[in-house]
Amino acid sequence: MLKKILSASALAATLALSAPSLAHHSFAMFDQGKVVNLRGTVSGYRWVNPHVSLFVEVQDGPAKHGVWAVELTSPGNLTRLGWSRQSLKVGDKVDVEVNPLRDGALGGGFRKATILSTGQVLQARLVEIEKPG
Amino acid sequence: MSRAPLFALALALALAAPAFAAPADDPITPAPTAKDWQALAQRPDWSGSWFPVISDQFAQVTSNPVPWKPEVQKQIDHWDAEEKAGRPRGLLLDCLPHGVPSFYLITHNSIEILQTPGRVTILGESDGNRLVRIWTDGRKAPADPDPSFHGYNIGTWQADTLAVSTTAILPQTWLAVSEAVGIAIGEGAHVEQKFHLIGPDTLAVDLTITAPAVLTKPWETRRLFTRKRARSYEIVEGVCRQGDFEETTDQWGNPAWSPLAQSADGNVLAPPAK
Repeated sequence: MLKKILSASALAATLALSAPSLAHHSFAMFDQGKVVNLRGTVSGYRWVNPHVSLFVEVQDGPAKHGVWAVELTSPGNLTRLGWSRQSLKVGDKVDVEVNPLRDGALGGGFRKATILSTGQVLQARLVEIEKPG
Repeated sequence: MSRAPLFALALALALAAPAFAAPADDPITPAPTAKDWQALAQRPDWSGSWFPVISDQFAQVTSNPVPWKPEVQKQIDHWDAEEKAGRPRGLLLDCLPHGVPSFYLITHNSIEILQTPGRVTILGESDGNRLVRIWTDGRKAPADPDPSFHGYNIGTWQADTLAVSTTAILPQTWLAVSEAVGIAIGEGAHVEQKFHLIGPDTLAVDLTITAPAVLTKPWETRRLFTRKRARSYEIVEGVCRQGDFEETTDQWGNPAWSPLAQSADGNVLAPPAK
């Protein structure tokens, strides 16, 4: 039995070591030709490299209901666009525009968010910070 | 026969053998003098942070395509089609460095350029705060340097232009046109770069990429970076794999990390419903 456990552990370790890390990726899995509007509640906001992520729980409206995982650019670039790790907090009611995942899963690439209590609009267009100065 | 004499002989040989120490040819870099530091004041001012003109990265590739070899072009077309179909090949999923030349070609994050006597150091933000060390102390590249992602970089100043020759690039290093389309640069590649200001706050990096394994001729292309002095542009920590984990506590209550749910192509997944 112990041998089986050890073998299983070894297999798990091998798989863990051989699995690719899944961090920095292209955004092409998001359909740039489609926009989905999410109205919901922030259930998570992770300020981490290489992509900040936002989780929005959608319970109403035409978008699929459930928790959507929304990806953004890096914390460094979002800082340059005026964001911070305090920009959103769990429980915020928001409208979020995303380019949805092409495979239909509940996820998307971030386009714009509006915090409903304040009307504040958050965008993340890197082209806006390309100019000198 | 007693083994003692043999053992003594082996021990004597072991002790007499040269230990691994400093290499025989290991030149000393002298301490910089006050004159060396003063000379830096004559160099162009590249202080601040430099943000890539990302829109121009794409424009450069469109207006001046990479001269891929026909057999390589087929692979590029395949990966291009996969990207357009929403199945991007994640060139950077493994979190290995962009390397030279992709460090300049496709980065989406700020860089910083440090000038100190005998060297120029470029610090990156994306995917692990990489650095490129460019030697400007007059040395030649070693005859057989260890291949690396960023290669061995020799720089010479030509007026206000820093000309850099990069050799010893690992053949697996990407020659990339996007984060999803590229090909390993192959054996025998070298990259020439010319860094120079084309405006008060615009830095051009003119690259000539020679990659005989994949290109029909050297590819000359330009990448632009714009200077930012606002503190928000200062490069920050860029740990590539941080997003692979979420905060938790271990069995003793210490802060710790645990793997996060992700799809095969690298985007985070919503946590499973509880």
